[in-house]
Amino acid sequence: MAVRNIVTYPNQILKTPCQVVEQIDDWVRQLVDDLVDTMHAGPGSVGVASPQIGVSLRVCVIDVSKNRHGKDNNHGLMLIINPEILARSGAAVMREGCMSVPDYTGDVERATELTLRFTEPDGTVREIEASGFEAVAIQHELDHLDGLLFLDRIASLKTGLFRRKSYK
Amino acid sequence: MNLCRKPNLAHFAVTIIGKDRTGIVADASEVLYKLGCNVEDSSCTMLGGEFAMILIVSHEKPFSKKQLEADFALKNANTGLSAFIRPLKDDEVCYQGPVGELCLISVYGSDKSGIVYRVTRELADRGVSIADLNTKLIGTPDDPVYVLVLEAALPNGMTVEDVTNLLEKLKKELSVEISVRLITPVSL
Repeated sequence: MAVRNIVTYPNQILKTPCQVVEQIDDWVRQLVDDLVDTMHAGPGSVGVASPQIGVSLRVCVIDVSKNRHGKDNNHGLMLIINPEILARSGAAVMREGCMSVPDYTGDVERATELTLRFTEPDGTVREIEASGFEAVAIQHELDHLDGLLFLDRIASLKTGLFRRKSYK
Repeated sequence: MNLCRKPNLAHFAVTIIGKDRTGIVADASEVLYKLGCNVEDSSCTMLGGEFAMILIVSHEKPFSKKQLEADFALKNANTGLSAFIRPLKDDEVCYQGPVGELCLISVYGSDKSGIVYRVTRELADRGVSIADLNTKLIGTPDDPVYVLVLEAALPNGMTVEDVTNLLEKLKKELSVEISVRLITPVSL
């Protein structure tokens, strides 16, 4: 269990599509634990993807249950390996920030509903229907696994640079 | 890194405006580039038929605004760009507004005098800081409609509901629609 340093752009690992996890072993489970610790240590963070801690694998963790936008509609802590979005619908714009792109925010359009399939650390394959803020968080973290940042999806030129104290 | 951490740099606010044409940004940025200035922050947009640029630029100290003014005067003679340069003190370089909620306020209705003034005065008197503001006159000459959209940083403790209630009286008085929504960034 460890809080890992967050990698920031221009580190090119953030722009590199991640490798599929071929085998879930103790090393991968340790990676998941570290991602959870790192997420909990981040100010108001609701998700961390492996490349953000320097590991180019399709693994991320998400938990929007403590965020005001997600507290009433969430699946709790999700430990996500080899995720795949099977369907998406709807569209809404939200202003996003990212620990890997500090001091900058941008409006990004995301699907409002999606179906996600992923494998958990114990090997269980899950399929969930996510919506609202949780769906936004899933798309943001999965973008990291594809080597994309929110900067690649800016929906308008209205961006901000605000000191951000809390997102709860 | 942000603008607040560069004590070795001199900063200037540069305002440039000129009749819109292709290449206006390239002309202005060429002056800055050849002088060795960096564009730290900028906002450029069309206003009517004019293209307006507001930039925060920096240069290693020592550097005076006279050099900027001289080169822009030369460019102005050739291209018709008008430039105004103001040196910035250290405490003017970075954003120092409130750090509470950020909200987007839309105001629209039949055009009449005083919409911008009344709305912004109401907000200012309650400590609400405007971070971004755009207005547009739309509709037809016989039926003009005024649209005002602004982003406002609220003082700590003030909510979107507080702002909505605050502007309710103005809504009736000016016969305009006013909507307020939260746009505080989410950290993902």
